[in-house]
Amino acid sequence: MKTNIWTQIFLVTEDLLNKISTSKYNPLYYHGALPQFIMYILFLSGLLLFAYYVPTIDNAYFSKNLVNAYTSVAYITNDIPFGAVIRAVHRYAGDAMVVAILIHMVRVWFTDRYRQYRWVQWESGIVLLLMVLFIGQTGYYLIWDERSLLLTRMTVSALEVVPVIGEPLRNWFLNGRTISNLTLSNFLFIHIGLSFSLLFALWIHYVRMSRPVITPPPALNYILMTIIFAVVYFFPITATKIADLNSQPTSMDIDVFFLLPYAVLGALGTTGFWISMILITAALCLIPYPFTNKKPVESAEVVDSKCTGCSFCFKDCPFQAIEMVPAPAGSRFKLLATVKPYRCSGCGVCVGACAFDAIDLPNLLDSDVNEKIKQLANSQSA
Amino acid sequence: MTDQKTVITLLCERAADVDGICDKAGNCTTVDGLKVVKLPCSGMVQPLMIEGAFKAGASGVIVTGCQIGDCYYREGNRMIRERLLGERTPGLKKTVERRRVLALWLSRLQRGKFEAEAKEFVAYIKGLEPLAAAPAAAPKPAPAAKPAAPAVAPSEDKKEDAKAAIESKPTAETTPADADKAAEAKVDAATTSGDKPAEEKKAEESKAEEKKD
Ligand code: HEM
Ligand code: SF4
Ligand code: SF4
Repeated sequence: MKTNIWTQIFLVTEDLLNKISTSKYNPLYYHGALPQFIMYILFLSGLLLFAYYVPTIDNAYFSKNLVNAYTSVAYITNDIPFGAVIRAVHRYAGDAMVVAILIHMVRVWFTDRYRQYRWVQWESGIVLLLMVLFIGQTGYYLIWDERSLLLTRMTVSALEVVPVIGEPLRNWFLNGRTISNLTLSNFLFIHIGLSFSLLFALWIHYVRMSRPVITPPPALNYILMTIIFAVVYFFPITATKIADLNSQPTSMDIDVFFLLPYAVLGALGTTGFWISMILITAALCLIPYPFTNKKPVESAEVVDSKCTGCSFCFKDCPFQAIEMVPAPAGSRFKLLATVKPYRCSGCGVCVGACAFDAIDLPNLLDSDVNEKIKQLANSQSA
Repeated sequence: MTDQKTVITLLCERAADVDGICDKAGNCTTVDGLKVVKLPCSGMVQPLMIEGAFKAGASGVIVTGCQIGDCYYREGNRMIRERLLGERTPGLKKTVERRRVLALWLSRLQRGKFEAEAKEFVAYIKGLEPLAAAPAAAPKPAPAAKPAAPAVAPSEDKKEDAKAAIESKPTAETTPADADKAAEAKVDAATTSGDKPAEEKKAEESKAEEKKD
């Protein structure tokens, strides 16, 4: 078994972390669980913000005492006890989510855990990544400061150039032909609706994994929360200026985690933007496929005549690759294990689970293993 | 053949890299009497394989997988760990002397550690009285529990490399919670749970084979 330099990077880092934290608390062993936990922080802090957020750009009835998205955010920040903290937690947890996802992604990639029987996890992961990035962007629209206005206009300009469906896309996005009071309700709906849709995408992400590790140990959660609170304390969110539809803001601060696409849009123009986005996405989606499918997995095989239908292999398979089907007529047993070859990793866990020698890896029969053990046990020790 | 003191290592090919210290046939060149059988994942280790090794005359077995948490196949090392601890069926038969089975969870880079631990274990096994020819002989009862400690809890801090050493203590009841706590250090394996279902099923199996014939 050869390891390449990329895997080596993670092996060395993880060994180091194991020395510091023991394997039980090694954050890299919770690479998937951490983004999941951060998602819950976001849901909760988002819920609290939602309680006071008003998704309009203006409110005629209160025009003297303007109540709109911007002022409601200001109210949360300045008047609600700990409102500024909740808001900052929500923002920085979003950044942390992107960081955690990227670490997760790079780890599964570099340690070769992303292709063949894992393609569903990878592709659904890309969908999750795009969703999270887009949710983050919509978060920045909601504040309705000058940056929000600029982002909205830039997005509209990008949507309008899409052939054929450009206009309907814009009308959907703005909830009308132009920016209106209804626009922000749509933004809020996209932001929250997509956030909950993450749960559906995650279900697909997990469907081929038995018992995905989705809860980091509490100790790690506390450390993560401490880091987030430290950032909140040292970098409170600064006040911005309310969006004015009659103004033409032209520059803004770029949040490197969520707003990079707008930097691309600013630099390359709409066509360049779409081409680069499509190319990047396609490249990410293709990563599991290239040319590199070195050797195909030889999937496990059930010896039908020996299988007692005990389901041990079915329970232990880490990739949900075994299905228990009704045993053929005439069998003494009720069930029969069957392997779904396209899901099988060839790991052999099912071999270890079977007390009846009824399941085998074709390239390493357990009878051969036993033979080798026997022979080595008998050989004269030097 | 009982006094050869062979120790068989069932090793995940992604765990501690032993290529430098083993010949193709599986003889370890730096530790006397240590043999290595490579598997794609430690999760492939069947308790039957361990029993088979003893039956064939081995006097000790080391199971080596990656660090718990880092299994390439997600859960393989957890599975065999739980089987050895008697928390997952099929488990080891009661007749297997627990102190002769050592589990090591070592990453690819930890060859040195593997060598050191294996050496210590081989030395410890050599110090034990030879196994009776038939592995069916009852395991050494109580006294085995403590003397086994040196082999399974060597000087260096144990927590660091999550290992479970399985020793003889036939009365021990390991609850899942206990096992969790003991994850990093040595563990007294429950020898009771887990075996029965497998044996019942074995009976079924022999019937199945009769029928086939
Ligand atoms: C919302 C973001 C995400 C969350 C919460 C998440 C969570 C998880 C979790 C919990 C696992 C199971 C780990 C295990 O138990 O072994 C997992 C596996 C995986 N994820 Fe993600 N993931 C996310 C995004 C991504 C992205 C962006 C990618 C890559 C494009 C990705 C690729 C994978 C792959 C390939 C696996 C399989 C790894 C294995 O089998 O060991 N995920 N993910
Ligand atoms: S563990 Fe073996 S006997 Fe049991 S269902 Fe799977 S293949 Fe059949
Ligand atoms: S080898 Fe067995 S346990 Fe591993 S993925 Fe295939 S069917 Fe599942």
